[in-house]
Amino acid sequence: MSQELIQAITDMREEDALNITKQMLDTGADPITILDACRDAMGIIGQRFETGECFIPELILAGEMLSQISVIIKPRLQQNGESKKIGKVVLGTVEGDIHDIAKDIVGFMLDVNGFEVTDLGVDVPPAKFVDAVKQTGAKVVGLSGFLTLAFDPMKFTVQALKDAGLSDVKVMIGGGQIDENIRQYTGADAYGKDAMAAVALAKSWS
Amino acid sequence: MFTRPDHWNQMSPLERRKARLDAWQNAPVPFASPEAEANYKERIERLRKIYDMEPHDRPIADLFLGVNEYVVRRKGIQGKDMVYNHEKLREPLLEFHNEFQPDVSVAPLPYPGKVMDMLGYKSYIWGGQKLPDHLTIQAVEGEYMTGDEYKEFAADPTNFWMKKYLPRVMPTLAPLAMLTEFPRVSENVDIIDLMVPFGLPPFQEMLKTLMKAGDELMKMLAVVGQTGAMIAGAGFPGMGFNIAKTPFDYLGDTVRGTKGILTDMYRRPNDLLAACEAYVPVLINAIVNASDRNSAPSVLYVLHKGADGFMSQAQFEKFYWPTWKQVMMALYEEGITSYLFIEGSYNNRLENLAEMPEKSLVCHFDKTDMRRVKEVLSDKFIIAGNVPASLMAAGTVDQVRAYCADLVELFADTPAYIMAHGCYFENTTDEKLCAFMDSVKK
Repeated sequence: MSQELIQAITDMREEDALNITKQMLDTGADPITILDACRDAMGIIGQRFETGECFIPELILAGEMLSQISVIIKPRLQQNGESKKIGKVVLGTVEGDIHDIAKDIVGFMLDVNGFEVTDLGVDVPPAKFVDAVKQTGAKVVGLSGFLTLAFDPMKFTVQALKDAGLSDVKVMIGGGQIDENIRQYTGADAYGKDAMAAVALAKSWS
Repeated sequence: MFTRPDHWNQMSPLERRKARLDAWQNAPVPFASPEAEANYKERIERLRKIYDMEPHDRPIADLFLGVNEYVVRRKGIQGKDMVYNHEKLREPLLEFHNEFQPDVSVAPLPYPGKVMDMLGYKSYIWGGQKLPDHLTIQAVEGEYMTGDEYKEFAADPTNFWMKKYLPRVMPTLAPLAMLTEFPRVSENVDIIDLMVPFGLPPFQEMLKTLMKAGDELMKMLAVVGQTGAMIAGAGFPGMGFNIAKTPFDYLGDTVRGTKGILTDMYRRPNDLLAACEAYVPVLINAIVNASDRNSAPSVLYVLHKGADGFMSQAQFEKFYWPTWKQVMMALYEEGITSYLFIEGSYNNRLENLAEMPEKSLVCHFDKTDMRRVKEVLSDKFIIAGNVPASLMAAGTVDQVRAYCADLVELFADTPAYIMAHGCYFENTTDEKLCAFMDSVKK
């Protein structure tokens, strides 16, 4: 039934995906199998996003399907322990900017691709990024900013990480008006044009 | 106030367009001097020729959708001032216009801070309220209509807006929900239902608050209006537009939220389509009435959810484009030009825009490929854009100069081009702004 679940998620058949999940659990399927199917489905959706066959509605709906599936399988999953993570990322929308949708999509895609994501939320001051990196030991920081007023807070956050002696931490930035000009301006290591680019960057640094 | 000629019903769309543009161009202005009057007339004549897509001496550079806050921030004005202290903006604005001599006027949008406070407005937060003083205003999305309420909305958008949306987004207006449905007031006894809320304390309290808010608004509008008149009187015409959204964006930005509406495309597609359809006549009526009230010849749409990366072409053509096109076509028939401020990229949508009649649109681009724009749209429509915000913020003066020069050269053989920024931004330098404005003068 894993294949059916993958198919339902990638076809955006939400009700079917939830029903199949319940059926799989009822028939004794290992919750890890369900999680693997979800991960495979998200892999397909991610590829389709890169090739222009999927867009924001599909990423958001897939995210909501996975959240609901997680709730369904969580009671049984805990007994099986956490799945292995490939790296840690600290993520947040920079100070002065309260937009969360793009940041949430990036966080979700990093999560399903095996990263442990510490999401600091929106309007995050530089010091909070520094503290989170120190606490988690993350080697990757993702700075999101929808508005052009995010340019300076991004620059200040990159500087704050350097000032705190965290120069080995890689910083990626993203948002509607972010490009190579702004990457240079902020001193970030890279910018990503979308969530899949963020995943690729984090993987290349982990 | 735009007065329709007697033979309006016999006029073609382009004749109606001409009548609206004539009214806008010839509106009375309190000129500060004969020199200011001459400058104003020269500028508005150039702008008019661009609107008409007729030969003119040079393109114009429009600052409004880009540096409308920078023009006062450069003198230390903070975001909070733009929301609460409109008087404080006057001097830096007049100084900017006199020093930089822009082709069209530019000013921050007139955010009514005190009135928003009194209404308890929840769709935005702003400087001096929940944002720090240096910031101006940011949207806070909320779900002000549940997915189950689509049918109620589609049955009567105006009633839903008055009795559900407004009370939810502005708690001061909660008593509006007590009102009866107006179209059922027809017989003498129906007056009882109509008037009952007006006799009840919560409704009366609301009315008292609204009267105070109205007083505050009048004070603000007097200041903003006087500043606007002084800028025009100093020789600087405005672009002349009202602001609207597409039916899809009204539903998505305002009542359902981005996540809500994008998942509705899968969860309740027919309800979403019916709601967009229901919005069309309401929106047409609202824009035409606004254009008649203030004589603005065009309507500005700030567009984002229909952009290339946001949804597929199939989704755009199913959910976004048809009802928006209906609105723009109806406005074209009424002589109103649609000014499209297209955030992000629209590379896949250009052929859709090309379906519209000649001179019906001003197409202002952000990240769209301007070479394709020229190829597909420049014969039919006025084109504007697309100097990047990132360049104005982080590039050099030479880079700005080179980018603008390329645009001027690219559109040199097209009927009408406006040098403009791709999106709004806070920070640049006077030198880069000069490079931007000078690019059309060489």
